[in-house]
Amino acid sequence: MLERFMNMDRRIIFILIALVVIIPTLIPIRLPITVSEPTQKLYDYIDTLPSGSTIMIAFDYGPSSLAEPEPMAKAVMQHCFSKGVKVIGMTLYANTPTLAHKLMRRIAAENKAVYGEDYIFLGYRPGALQVILGMGTNIANVFETDYEKTPITEIPMMQNITNYDQIALLLDLAAGSTTGAWIVYANTRYGLKIAAGVTAVIIAQMYPYLQTGQLIGLMPGYLGAAEYEKLLNVAGGDGTVGLNTASYAHLLIIGLVLLGNIAFFVHRRKEA
Amino acid sequence: MIKTTQWVAICLVLCLSVSTAFSQESAAPSNVTAVDTPNDDGSSITIKWDAAAEDTGISGYQILRRIADGDLEEIGGLLPAETTNYVDSSIQQGTAYTYIVRAVTEAEATVDSEQTAPVKGTGEWFHTGKTPLFVAMLLFSAAIVWNIYNARSGKEIFVRRIPGLEAVDEALGRATEMGRSILYVLGLGGVDNVATIASMTILGQVARRTADYETPLRVPCNEPVVLNVVREVVKTSYLDEGRPDAYNEENIFFLTGDQFAYAAGVDGMMIREKPAAIFLQGTFAAESLLMAETGNSIGAIQIAGTDSEHQLPFFIAACDYTLIGEELYAASAYLSREPMLLGSLKGQDWGKILIFLTIVLGVVLELFGVNWITTLLQRVS
Amino acid sequence: MKRQVPLALCFLFGIVMILTQFVPHKYVQALYKEFIDWGLIISPFALVLAVITLIQTHTTRVRRRTEHWQYSFLVFAGMIIMVCVGVPFGEQDSVFVWLYDNVQVPMDATMFSLLAFFIASAAFRAFRARSFEATLLLVTAMIVMLGNIPIGDLVWNKVMSWTPWADGASGARQWILDVLNSAARRGIILGVSLGVISQSIRIILGIERSYLGGGD
Repeated sequence: MLERFMNMDRRIIFILIALVVIIPTLIPIRLPITVSEPTQKLYDYIDTLPSGSTIMIAFDYGPSSLAEPEPMAKAVMQHCFSKGVKVIGMTLYANTPTLAHKLMRRIAAENKAVYGEDYIFLGYRPGALQVILGMGTNIANVFETDYEKTPITEIPMMQNITNYDQIALLLDLAAGSTTGAWIVYANTRYGLKIAAGVTAVIIAQMYPYLQTGQLIGLMPGYLGAAEYEKLLNVAGGDGTVGLNTASYAHLLIIGLVLLGNIAFFVHRRKEA
Repeated sequence: MIKTTQWVAICLVLCLSVSTAFSQESAAPSNVTAVDTPNDDGSSITIKWDAAAEDTGISGYQILRRIADGDLEEIGGLLPAETTNYVDSSIQQGTAYTYIVRAVTEAEATVDSEQTAPVKGTGEWFHTGKTPLFVAMLLFSAAIVWNIYNARSGKEIFVRRIPGLEAVDEALGRATEMGRSILYVLGLGGVDNVATIASMTILGQVARRTADYETPLRVPCNEPVVLNVVREVVKTSYLDEGRPDAYNEENIFFLTGDQFAYAAGVDGMMIREKPAAIFLQGTFAAESLLMAETGNSIGAIQIAGTDSEHQLPFFIAACDYTLIGEELYAASAYLSREPMLLGSLKGQDWGKILIFLTIVLGVVLELFGVNWITTLLQRVS
Repeated sequence: MKRQVPLALCFLFGIVMILTQFVPHKYVQALYKEFIDWGLIISPFALVLAVITLIQTHTTRVRRRTEHWQYSFLVFAGMIIMVCVGVPFGEQDSVFVWLYDNVQVPMDATMFSLLAFFIASAAFRAFRARSFEATLLLVTAMIVMLGNIPIGDLVWNKVMSWTPWADGASGARQWILDVLNSAARRGIILGVSLGVISQSIRIILGIERSYLGGGD
C-alpha cells in the first residue's frame, strides 16, 4: 500500500492538479495578500511620476505564457492612465505584436485612454539587441511607424520623445531572458531605469539584479499582479484570481510531498 | 492716512522686487560646464551644473544650445528639478557648441546661466572605464593560452570525475542492448550560442560511439543552421570511425523553430519511439521540464547539461545525471582527453582562483572600512 | 581550404568583436554596427533554409511512407494556410488574427500549462528526505512554496507562532531567495562565464574545431 502510494501513477497527480486549478477558478475564494517590497517599490516609483511622464512597456512574452504577464500589464497600465502617465508599448518577440496590441487597446478602452495621446504600440522589429541599442539613440530610427503604420513623427505623444532620455521607466514583462538584455544594454549604456514583471518560473534569476539596484522593482508572476491589484484597490482582478488558483496548486503539491515523505519513512522503518 | 498707505504699498513692492531679484539671482544655475562625454564615439557632449538650493522654487531646467554665432535652440524638453546633468547626443561631430542652462521657476519665470566655453565631441580610442575589465580579460586569456600550450608538453593533467560524462558509455551500452534508439536534443540555442557549440562537441563524441555500436542516433533540431552543422559533425564522426554506411542523414532533421511546438514534437518522439537514452545538452528555457519529465516517464536513462542555471533544478529532479553549468563546457575536453583542451580547463581554474581571491580580499578590506576594490569594480561598465 | 577559411574568418571576427567592446571610436563602432547588420541579413536566409529543410524532411516521409507519414500533410496544410493568409493580407488581417487567437495561442498555452502538471509529479518524486542534503532541499522547498502564496503566511504563522520566526513565510522565502539562492546562482554563473570565455578562446584560436564538421 505504502509502496504503491510512493510510486503513485503520475496521472492521479495530474487529475488532482486539474481539480485544484479548475475549482477555485469557478468558485473564487478571496485570500489575504501581503504586498512584497519589490512590488511596492515599482508601485511607489510609478505613483510618484509627474503627470505627463512616459514609461515604456516591453511585452516580451509569447502566447504560451500570457497568463501571468497580462494581469501585470493590466494593473500597471491602469495605474499609469489614472495618474496621467503615458505608455509606449513594444515587443522583442516576433509572435507577440497581435497579442500585445489587442491587450493595450482593451485596457485603454476600459480606462478611457486615447491612442496616440495617452499610449501607443510600436510593435516588433527583428534583432533584439539592435532594437534595444537603437532606441537609445533615436526611437524613430528603429520604429519609423507604430504598429498601426502611423509615422512616429505624426503621433502627438511622441512629439517630445526622442530616445530613452525622455522615458522614465522601462517595464519588461518577460517570460524569457530579455530582462538581462534590457539591463545590460539600456540600463548600463543609456541609464534607463528598468523594472520587471516575470513569470514565476524565472523569478529566481531576477533577485541578483534587484539586489544590485539594476532593477528598481519586480513583480513575481501572479503574486506580483495580485499585489499590484491590492495596491490599486482592485477587487477580484485577474492576478488575484490566478493567485488563488496557484495557491491551491501549491498547497496540493506541499501536501503530496509531505504525505510522500511520511509514507517513505514508515516504509523504511518497516523494512529496517 | 492716504500718504501712509501709499508709502507702505511702495515699501511692499520694493521688498517684493528685491526678494524676487534675489531669488532669481540664486536660482540661476551655477558652475555650468560642457565637456566632451568621455569614453564615447564622439557623438555626445555632457552638460553639468550644481544642484539648486531647495528654497529657490525651481520646477525644472531647459538646455539651450548655440553653434558659433548662431541662434539659441532648445534641446531635450523640460528636465526635472533634481537634474544636474544632461547628455546632448544630437550633435554633429567636429562642430563646436556652447550651452546655457535655463532654470524655470514654479511661476514660469526663467533664469539663464552663463554661457559655457565652446566644446566639440571627439571619439576615444580606448574606453578608460573598462581598463580593469581589459586587464582581467588579458590575464585570463593569457592563463588559458599558457596552459593550453603547456599541455602540449605531454604532462598529465588531473580532471576530477564528472559522473554525468562517465555515464555516457553506460547509456549508449544500454540503448544498444535494448535495441532502441538514442535521442539527442541540443536545446534552443543557435550556432552563435557557445552552449550549443559545446553540445555539438559532445554530440560528436556520442556519435563516434553510436557509429561503433550501430545504434540509431536521432537528433531533432530547432534551428536550421544548427541542423546543417550537426549533420556535418555527426557525419564526420561516422567517417572517422570508418562507418560511413551507418550514417543516416534523415535521423537528423529540422522539427520547428517554435519553443513549445519543439517541446511537443520531442515529447511525441519520446512517447512513440521510446529511446533508451536521452541527452538534453545545450541552452534550455521553460520547455526543459516538459522534455525531461516525459523522458523520465518512459524510463529512459537521461543525461542533461545546461548553462541555463535556472533550468538546473528541473533537470536535477527529472534526469539521472546533470552537467551543471561549466561542466557542459568541460565535456569536450573530458570525453576527448585531448591535452590542449584539458589545458584550457586548468586555465579556467586559475581564473576561478583569481576571482575567489578578489572576493575574499574585497570582503576583508570592506570589513576594515577600505573599499577601493568595491569602488573599482563598481566603476567597470 | 574547407577548414582554413572558416577558421581564419572566425579568428578575425572574434578578435574584432572583442576590440569593439573596448574601443568606443566611431570607426570601430561603425564596424561593430556593420557586423551586427550582417548578422541581421543572414537571419532571413536561415529562415529560407528552415522552410526548405522542413519541406525536404516531410516530403521524404511521405514518399517513403514512414510511420505516421500522414501527419506530414498537416505540416504542409498549416504552413500553406498561414503563408497564404499572412503574406498578402498582413498580420492585422482578421482571418490571420482569428487563426492566431484560436490556434496558435491555445496550443502554445496548453504546452506551457503542462508545466503545472509536470512540476507537481517531478516534485512528488524528487522531494524525498533520503539523505541529509535531500532533507535540506525538501525543507527549503517547503518554505519557498509556502512563502509564494498568501495563504502560506497564515499557515506559517499558525504553526510557527511559538517560535521567534513567526513573522510570515514570505519573509523566510525572501531571505532564502536573496541570500542562499543568489549565492549559489552567482557561483554557477561565475563558473559558466569562465567556461564560456575559455570555450570562446578555444574557438577563436581554432583549437576547438569539432563544430566545423569534416573536410580539409
